[in-house]
Parts: sequence; structure tokens; C-alpha cells
Amino acid sequence: MSQLNYRTINIDVLDPDSSINFPMDTLLPATLPPPTTSSAAASVASEVRQLLRGGDPEGALRHVLDTAPLGGDDRAKEVHLAAVTEVLQGIRQGEMSRVLEGVCTGDGGAERADCLMKYLYKGMASPVSGAGGAQSPRKSVSPQGTGFSQIQGRNLGEGGGGQQMSVLLSWHEKLVELVGTGSIVRVMTDRRTV
Amino acid sequence: MSTSLRPYLQCVRSSLSAALAISNFASQTSERHNVPEIEAASSPELLLNPLVISRNYDERTFIEPSVNSVRVSLKVKQADEIEHILVHKFARFLTQRADAFLILRRKPVEGYDISFLITNFHTEAMLKHKIVDFVIEFMEEVDKEISEMKLFLNARARFVAESFLTPFD
Repeated sequence: MSQLNYRTINIDVLDPDSSINFPMDTLLPATLPPPTTSSAAASVASEVRQLLRGGDPEGALRHVLDTAPLGGDDRAKEVHLAAVTEVLQGIRQGEMSRVLEGVCTGDGGAERADCLMKYLYKGMASPVSGAGGAQSPRKSVSPQGTGFSQIQGRNLGEGGGGQQMSVLLSWHEKLVELVGTGSIVRVMTDRRTV
Repeated sequence: MSTSLRPYLQCVRSSLSAALAISNFASQTSERHNVPEIEAASSPELLLNPLVISRNYDERTFIEPSVNSVRVSLKVKQADEIEHILVHKFARFLTQRADAFLILRRKPVEGYDISFLITNFHTEAMLKHKIVDFVIEFMEEVDKEISEMKLFLNARARFVAESFLTPFD
């Protein structure tokens, strides 16, 4: 007991009225959809895959964004993120603008745009997985061990996950063009994370 | 400019201009203090959701917005050990002169090479779009600088080796 250094204790944490103990759940709206499970997210993913295979990319994107698990657990969110990434990668570069315009207009279009923006950032934040990104962080060790190597040039080889990221980045660019930077602000301020 | 660099910088630019919507906000914990909330982290409701923008695994930008300050951290691409050393030395050179850069943070955030801390006082004193331009330009320049230094280093090493080995020829 005598070993305890009282100067190092952050007393604010112990005070229920202090600002560090702000009740964060009061920032969430009461209209949050009911929590979903990972199995529900998986069934949405298979529905979406069917739509995508049926040649309806716009419908697939619309469906996957409408069913975002805002109140789900982490596992459900992960499964849903994989579904969204799959849809985004399944849509060709030339079709992007047309699909986006279709998805972001009409009833609830603004919400879908914000939701898509959230997924774009989440996709970029998540550690790279799957195709092309499975290697270890230090993949290119120079042959001599001295670090001297003139074989590999800079900016030639893409690092891990370059393909997936460039898809997300081009979606981001198109989306910002369409809905403006306000959508990014809403991603930062919205406590309903996807 | 490489094809995948442009969307990356464009994404950083739009995210940063969105994040720089900051205003003066006095500390809630101690009276007559005014600290960057992102550093103090004394009230969770003032910190917004952080954003990560990545071009690939080893080239990322991390933007942490809050009510009165934004922390921007960069991870510069390091293809081998030489570049790792060069980036480390370069970042060290800059952070030791952080006063001259105004927005440079003296210590990078963990996992990143260099960090900027932009507060509302900076956005009041300087033009916001110029700050964004500066960060973008910095990102472009640092890549160029590192590859130039690497080439220079290699050329020098070759010259040294040649002149060292001539007597044995």
C-alpha cells in the first residue's frame, strides 16, 4: 500500500462528473436498428453475391448499403465489410459513375452515400487480407544484407494490397465528386460506425 | 506522377480539408487552459472518428480529427533497409527543427514516420487550403527526396569502392 504513488493516479477518471467519463452512448440516436449477428450479415452477403452475379451491380450496392449493421457486433461488421468490398471490386471502372449516381439518388440516397463513405474508409483502415496482401510486412529484404540493392526501383512494385486500395481510392474520388466533402465530415462525426 | 499516386493524394486532400473544420475550444478539465484535444484526450466526446487512407500496406496516412485540432500522420514507403534508414534520418532532421515548421509534431505517432499537429490557431493564422497544399506537397516531396538520396548514396558508395580498390588492380 505504501508503494502506491498517488501522484501518478489520474483522479479525473474516478470522478463520475468529470469530462473523461462522458457517457458516450448518449451520442447514439435512439432509432438505431436492432443488433444483427454475423450469420445475418453472411446471409445478406450471399443475397448480394446473387444480385451481383445476376448482372445488377446497382441493386447489389444499394442492398448492401441499406442493410449495414450499424448496431451489430464486430464480427457482423467484419462480414458485412467483406461483402461491401466484394461488391465494390465487382463493379467495373467504366460503370462506377453510373452505378454511383443511381445509388446516391432517390429515397435515402444521402444515407447510402454516407454509408458507402464509411465503408471506403473502413476498407482502407482494415489490415490487408486476401489476394495479394497476405505477405509479411517486410517482404523485400535486399540480397546483400547491407541494404545495398540497385535492382529494385522505387514506386515500381506495389506494396501489399495495392490493388484493393486503388479500387477504394477511385471509388472515394468518384463519391466525393458526387456528394462533396460534407459526406467525409459526417463519417468523422457519426458515432454509428459500420 | 504515377497513376495510383494521384487518387491517393486526392483522397488525402479531400479528407484533410474536411477534417480541418476546427474551432477554438477551451479545456473542460482545467480552467484557463486551451490544449489540443486530440493530444490531451481528456474528453472522449470531443474526439471524432479517425480516418486511415492507404495506398498500399506501407504507404498510409492517418488523420485523427477532434474539435480543435487535427493530427495527421504519414507513413512513408520504405522498400528496403537503406530507405528505412534514410526515412528515419530525414524525419529526425525535420523534427529537430519542428519550431520552424509550425505544424510539425516533435514525435511521430506510433507506427508512422512523421506527424503534423494542426490546431485552430494554425487555421486562424494561416489559410486552410494552403495548409492542405503544404501537407500534400510534403508527401510528394518526401518520396522524391528519399529516392534521390538513395541514388546519391549508391553512386557515392560505388565511387568509394572503386577508388578504394584501384591500388589492388
